[in-house]
Amino acid sequence: MSGFTARKNLTRLGNMLLNIPMLLVILAPLIYTLLISVMPPDEIYRNMLIPSSINLNNYVNAFTHPAYNFLTFIRNSFIVSTSVMLGQMVTCSLAAFAFAFLDFRGKKWLFVLVLATMMVPGEATIIANYLTVSRWGWLDSFQALIVPYLTSAMGIFLLRQNYLTFSRELHEAAQLDGCNNPRFMASIVVPLSRPALGALGAYVFLNTWNQYMWPLLVTNSSNYRTVQIGISMLYDIDAESLGLMMAGVVIVIVPSLSIFIFMQKQLINGLMAGAVKG
Amino acid sequence: MSLTDSLKARTTKPRVPGKRGIYAVMEPYLFLLPAFVVFGLFLFYPFGRTIFLSTFLTDKLGNARVFWGVRNYTDLFTSSSFWASVGVTFQFVAIVAFGGLLIGLATSLLTAKKYPGVTFASASYAMPVAIASAAASMAFRMILHPTNGLLNILFGTQINWTGDPRWALFSVSMLTIWLASGINFIFISAGLRGVPDEMYESASIDGAGYWRRLFSITLPSISPTLFFQIIINIIGAFQSFSQIRLLTQGGPGDATNVIVYAIYRDAFFNFRFGTAAARSIILFAIVLVITLIQFSFEKRSVHY
Repeated sequence: MSGFTARKNLTRLGNMLLNIPMLLVILAPLIYTLLISVMPPDEIYRNMLIPSSINLNNYVNAFTHPAYNFLTFIRNSFIVSTSVMLGQMVTCSLAAFAFAFLDFRGKKWLFVLVLATMMVPGEATIIANYLTVSRWGWLDSFQALIVPYLTSAMGIFLLRQNYLTFSRELHEAAQLDGCNNPRFMASIVVPLSRPALGALGAYVFLNTWNQYMWPLLVTNSSNYRTVQIGISMLYDIDAESLGLMMAGVVIVIVPSLSIFIFMQKQLINGLMAGAVKG
Repeated sequence: MSLTDSLKARTTKPRVPGKRGIYAVMEPYLFLLPAFVVFGLFLFYPFGRTIFLSTFLTDKLGNARVFWGVRNYTDLFTSSSFWASVGVTFQFVAIVAFGGLLIGLATSLLTAKKYPGVTFASASYAMPVAIASAAASMAFRMILHPTNGLLNILFGTQINWTGDPRWALFSVSMLTIWLASGINFIFISAGLRGVPDEMYESASIDGAGYWRRLFSITLPSISPTLFFQIIINIIGAFQSFSQIRLLTQGGPGDATNVIVYAIYRDAFFNFRFGTAAARSIILFAIVLVITLIQFSFEKRSVHY
């Protein structure tokens, strides 16, 4: 019997050891970025891997130097990501409610239409959207960054699936007691679906925070640039300040990683629903 | 509603068609309205507009000027640079789809058993899903830096990873595999958890070793997950943009000029919105075909 447990412990140890090289590969980009961001510049150019001392100048520069505007980028990204998140929570809840609880002409057809939008890659409509937004004079504005993303098929689908788990009798009983649909939704459906809303919120906030192509096309001035555009501009400003670039990367990754760490469960639920789109 | 009304409502059948008020009939559409306004303006309309533009020559502002029929398409289909771009895209997509799957499978198998530290390892393997492709691209700019980058320091080489046509596509693919590894890990490990334990127990009694069990039990059991994940990887890889723009700008030459980057180049450097629109429709068609393949397989593979 003791031979059996010893063997089991050995496999455990083996499993742990096997993970080390893989962990190094997956974590290397982040660890290396962090190390370079605090490395004194001369050590970067001497190709050192571990800094001899910790130098926080890059972070101080990123936040205080007027040429980099990091605080503005962060503020912009927070405004845009929060607005898109809240907007999607509202529009997707409303649409999902109709699809899950109400009967109406064309319901099936409209739902198929919503699902069909998942098959259109955003990159295929981005040119036409850019032309629309520029015709409206929306280039370089928050509305250009926010309005096109105020709903999503994935959000409607995720919430509808969730609502379908509530019994229909609940809705019928509420109706018979004179509770109208908006009130039923606000007082019963939304509170009951908080986990699904949390999943949608975490997923949408993160996706918007991480967006690159659309903000790149519709913003020109640093007043409206988001963080992802901001860090990629660091290279254009000064290609030689590698440490500053890496400090920028660390700064914009921190919010993403925080959402990942603190809302991992919700995020993964959202991702699993969203992956249908890819 | 008074008590008598409420009683009456209980005894009569609820929702008699034709007897509902105008508000009751319209209400569902009001619930749908906000979402459909956004879809209409930023999805249905631009989709139609893209098809329309793809049949025109445009001016620099993207206004349709001369009706061009299918000539934007035929011009593309007869140009060698278009086929080069398609070829590069398919190579890139294939490397990323299989590379991501392999890493995802390896990391899932590595965390399938319980041991101290498995929670940390799992979180680390899932972590790339949270990282923006733009931020990761900037990090890889440093990693791949020709003189001071990690890769050249570790290997003692002096390779210009993003500037050398032999390495550029490989470098961009490595980054994309890293980015995709998180979602691959999440889905494949969810698939692994779905394999019933009894299947392994009977197999280990029969004396099957680890690799034998892997190839004859584990992989066949999760093959629907693996297939689904490959499709997700393919669709995701077709849409890659930030990596290309921030690491190689489609170059050197056209070595990494994937379809999405070619759309961007056409529209915003050459102001050829008609051709860009035609490329967009081709991208849509490719993604559509892949999605339909997935649907038809999914229908067939439900019963196992």
